Amino acid sequence: MKRRSAIKNLLIIAGGIAILPSCSQESGGASIQLNNLDINQTQEDLLAEITETIIPKTDSPGAKDLKLHLFVLKMVDDCHNKDDQKIFTDGLNAIDQLSKKRFSKSFNEASLAQRTQLLQFLGSDKETKNDVEGFYAITKRRTIQGFLNSKYVMKDLKQYELIPGRYNGYASANETIRIS
Amino acid sequence: MSNINIDSIKERTFDAIVIGSGISGGWAAKELTEKGLKTLVLERGRDVKHVVDYPTTNMYPYEFEHRGEVPLATQEAAPIVNRCYAFREDAMHFFVKDNEHPYIQEKPFDWIRGYQVGGKSLLWARQTQRWSDYDFEGPARDGFAVDWPIRYKDIAPWYSYVEKFAGISGNKDGLKELPDGDFLPGYPLNAVEDYFKGVLKTKYPNRHVISARCAHLSKPNPIHIEQGRVQCQNRILCQRGCPFGGYFSSNSSTLPWAEKTGNLTLRPFSVAHSIIYDEQKGKAVGVKIIDTNTKEEIDYFARIIFVNAAALNTNLILLNSKSNRFPNGLGNDADVLGKYVAFHNYSARISAEYDGLKEFKTDGRNPAGGGYIPRFRNVAKQETNFLRGYAAGFSAYRGSDRDVSKVGENLKTQLLNPTLGPWRVGSHMMGETLPKEKNFVALDSSKKDAWDIPLLKISIDYDDNDVKMKADYIEQLTEMFTEAGFKNIQANTAGQAPGLDIHEMGGVRMGNDPKTSMLNKWNQLHHCSNVFVTDGACMTSTSTQNPSLTYMAFSARSVDYAVNEMKKNNL
Repeated sequence: MKRRSAIKNLLIIAGGIAILPSCSQESGGASIQLNNLDINQTQEDLLAEITETIIPKTDSPGAKDLKLHLFVLKMVDDCHNKDDQKIFTDGLNAIDQLSKKRFSKSFNEASLAQRTQLLQFLGSDKETKNDVEGFYAITKRRTIQGFLNSKYVMKDLKQYELIPGRYNGYASANETIRIS
Repeated sequence: MSNINIDSIKERTFDAIVIGSGISGGWAAKELTEKGLKTLVLERGRDVKHVVDYPTTNMYPYEFEHRGEVPLATQEAAPIVNRCYAFREDAMHFFVKDNEHPYIQEKPFDWIRGYQVGGKSLLWARQTQRWSDYDFEGPARDGFAVDWPIRYKDIAPWYSYVEKFAGISGNKDGLKELPDGDFLPGYPLNAVEDYFKGVLKTKYPNRHVISARCAHLSKPNPIHIEQGRVQCQNRILCQRGCPFGGYFSSNSSTLPWAEKTGNLTLRPFSVAHSIIYDEQKGKAVGVKIIDTNTKEEIDYFARIIFVNAAALNTNLILLNSKSNRFPNGLGNDADVLGKYVAFHNYSARISAEYDGLKEFKTDGRNPAGGGYIPRFRNVAKQETNFLRGYAAGFSAYRGSDRDVSKVGENLKTQLLNPTLGPWRVGSHMMGETLPKEKNFVALDSSKKDAWDIPLLKISIDYDDNDVKMKADYIEQLTEMFTEAGFKNIQANTAGQAPGLDIHEMGGVRMGNDPKTSMLNKWNQLHHCSNVFVTDGACMTSTSTQNPSLTYMAFSARSVDYAVNEMKKNNL
């Protein structure tokens, strides 16, 4: 039993799922095992700040509380192709330069208003996307997905029913709308 | 030594052998064992025990590492099966990996397979509509394939028989083209599905929207409780296997029932190589299998054999059962084995939005999936420039909308407080295709699989009739949607390869004439009377209805006949 709880403590919970921690953390690598992406601790921290800007902590948990940045990394690592992975890494690397150019500060040093403004700018609808915009599109989509599919939203907010046990085809539209 | 051999042969001898444990094999096993026959069921894949072997069944979406998405590496190893709607992170362990089970596509054909005890009955879409005489009389009336050797009256009591045990939910709709059955209460249509039903009723006298009939226990009877199954809980996570036994599968129903008789021996990891034909006795005596773990070749013996390996693999086994008497495959004197394969044309769908009935939404989930539009083209007589017709699914759903253009607190507020979107409606076509000699499967002359069995070569394609029918579906559904005031109508005609409908049928067709067909009206090989085929391979034509219910009825009916013949010493 002791061994089991020890292993359990080792697991990192990202939006409700367990992700094995990586062994390379001491050498400055990402805190989860990645097979395709090459991400160091600094980049991971930057990604955490970006996801937190997308979904901040308020009176309810934010992206960092739910470890959504690790979910984003996991998905990009396992479910995206090489092209996407390159855009993701290059875009993540370029975001600080962009921040410095606009605000003379790195993303982490910028104010919340500046960060929000920067991301809003990257998210504007454009036909073709450069790397930073491509990176941001992936990150935002996966952050929202991770949030809506988190244990917090699905179970704690009681938004997902595993066993509805009913079907009503004429429910009143005024009743509560489920999020997921 | 000889005693040991005799004992060994005795241990390998049964009254009956069933090849395959899917939806039809499960039924054959249940019927044979209930009638007292010691029955061996051979399954090429692993065992899947009800509930115990449904690892994902109670998982929340957030408990899946990729929230349901299949990782890219897994997708790349299974490019064909990856096109199937049910191949998701929660059920991907119930599908074959394409690279482990190769086949040859002379033309694109998505062969979707589930190699395990229960087969695809774990994964099926659970739609169960009866055939009518408009379907059985189709080939004779319209001059294609061969005449079915049976009519509705022959199979009607067997539909009832299997419906009562499996548990089929539906309403008595009183439609000649889609006969009523022995139903549990039907699931309701929702506000917009009902509305569309009303529109059709007013504008098109012969077009109907009914609640789709499905193999779910809306209100279980004692016979279902006795199987250990309880009421469907509207989870719609069926493809994971259901801990309630809320839908019918071999695993939840027929196989445990057969096991209780004490007459069932289930042998997983046993791929059927061929049926052994005895030239002196003039009949089949057993089945040669390869143990997929040890690669050992083992012969099993029985008085009768049911082949239920799923349509195309049943063709493969018969084609590979060669003897002096049958050099081209067991029972294949007519040279039709593997030919006249057909499928369902699922190559078009259409969607739209509806602005009305905003006072309603749905709550909970509908296991039936919504509405079903029975075939309305060429039903009583030929009236279009193509033969036969299509059934269609029809469903309406009201989802939530949220503005995700912003970031920060604004976005979070949007995510946590969605608004109701418009009603969205959708339909997909289920077209009858015509069996043709040039749509065939055959053994490859050189390439073999991991068990030294020849690879199946598949050569199946759409034809001109399918193209015209698809155009008509889009035209008619667009018109019907327009009449209903639906907006933003979008037709998706990108299509898909045959096979992805997962309704491949034929190759071992039934017929009255042994010169043009393989099986008689009892699903018995014309030329090898103790071998029966009651899965999709037996189908003379395809009609439009989802076929599994018909396979179940054929299986029960055929076993009844076979056992009576055994009692009369005719087999």
